[in-house]
Amino acid sequence: MGGVDAASNIIRFIVLLFLQVFVFRQVSLGWGGAEYVFVFLSPLFIALLPLRTPKPLVVIIAFFFGLGVDFFYESLGVHAAAATFCGYIRQYVLSVLEPRDGYKVKASPDGKDLSPSWWLSYLAYLVAGYTIFYFSMEAFSPVFWKQIILKSLLTIPVSILLCGVLVSFLRPRI
Amino acid sequence: MEQILRIFYKNGSFFTFVGLQLLCLYLIVNFNSPQSAIAVETASIVTGSVKSGAGTVEGYLNLKEENEIQRREIADLRSRLPESGYSIAVETDSVQDPAYAQRFIHLTANVVNRSAYSPYNTLVIDRGKSQGVAAGQGVVGSEGLIGIVDKPTENFSRVISILHRSTRISAGLRNNAYGTLQWEGQDPRIMVLTDIADFLTIEKGDTVFTTGFSNVFPTGQVIGTVESSEVQAGTGSQNLIVKLINDPLHTSSALVVRDLFKEELAKLKPLR
Repeated sequence: MGGVDAASNIIRFIVLLFLQVFVFRQVSLGWGGAEYVFVFLSPLFIALLPLRTPKPLVVIIAFFFGLGVDFFYESLGVHAAAATFCGYIRQYVLSVLEPRDGYKVKASPDGKDLSPSWWLSYLAYLVAGYTIFYFSMEAFSPVFWKQIILKSLLTIPVSILLCGVLVSFLRPRI
Repeated sequence: MEQILRIFYKNGSFFTFVGLQLLCLYLIVNFNSPQSAIAVETASIVTGSVKSGAGTVEGYLNLKEENEIQRREIADLRSRLPESGYSIAVETDSVQDPAYAQRFIHLTANVVNRSAYSPYNTLVIDRGKSQGVAAGQGVVGSEGLIGIVDKPTENFSRVISILHRSTRISAGLRNNAYGTLQWEGQDPRIMVLTDIADFLTIEKGDTVFTTGFSNVFPTGQVIGTVESSEVQAGTGSQNLIVKLINDPLHTSSALVVRDLFKEELAKLKPLR
């Protein structure tokens, strides 16, 4: 499931989509009639794509994952936009976090040869990008900037935590 | 061409990203009601501001034309003001009496213009040829005289005021003495009645009437009262200073007098 081959990625696609739409969709905390805390696993799927995947292909695969989430969230396009953005910024996150001796050829960012702290910051970037973009698209107007910031600040730590747990949970079994 | 392709190849992820984002925006706006409402609202605000900006520019471009239209409109509205109207109602006054044949017809008129005060005063009344006004007809006020029509146009007439140096009016007294009334061009309150025989005794306060000899004014219209008399040495006549009963300079309503017998009487000119 944590491999670099196409089959592993397809399995991840299905499993994470399933978890997202059937388990974590139910998880939403809030007060005053509005929900503020959500859990997003889409960044995790995008993060686990093989390191050498062509950059346009990352964007396209991310788009389809977001689209899949959207079908179950009944918000066609919102998750897809956020996932596309997340897939696009992945290359820049990777270049920012690049180790001093570079990534190993054919390596997958699956945690085998990368430290937990690297993983945490890698996921944090992607989750933050995904979340902020998602809430911006959901509000769809800069006049709601307070809600966008509040929801993002509450959602990002929870999502990072869940993604981190899933990575460490999956890592020994790769 | 190769360079363009290279740019596309190098930034493939960017173009994919932009394309998919546009697709996502399309999906969001079309399949999510709150976002679609916001999009419609934003679009209307943007297009509204663009349209109003365009309208402002267009307004300046059309300013000259608009100005012309406004001026035409103002001209039209001004022509509708009561002041610019001309009353065509002809109010004449005549009496139907079998014992008397009608001789004088009075036509109401308003003074619409006056010359500046000078020894040669004229005024304009709002009745003209179309109402039967002709040159030589007299203009009287509710009391006293105002002038004589000089030049009628279609709807207006110029009137030579009695306070004009060339005015000559036939006027008389109760004792049938008569003479010529004229104005010396100085005091608008008094006129001078000349050619009264010097043997007649004239009392101060005697009334001066029109005689009707010249077919201009009705007979017996009061002109004023005698203020004093001056015997003109060597001429056998005296001049009477006549105080006018009215103020011809400030009368605004007038009556145009038409003598129906004028033509007939004109045939009987003095024989010499």
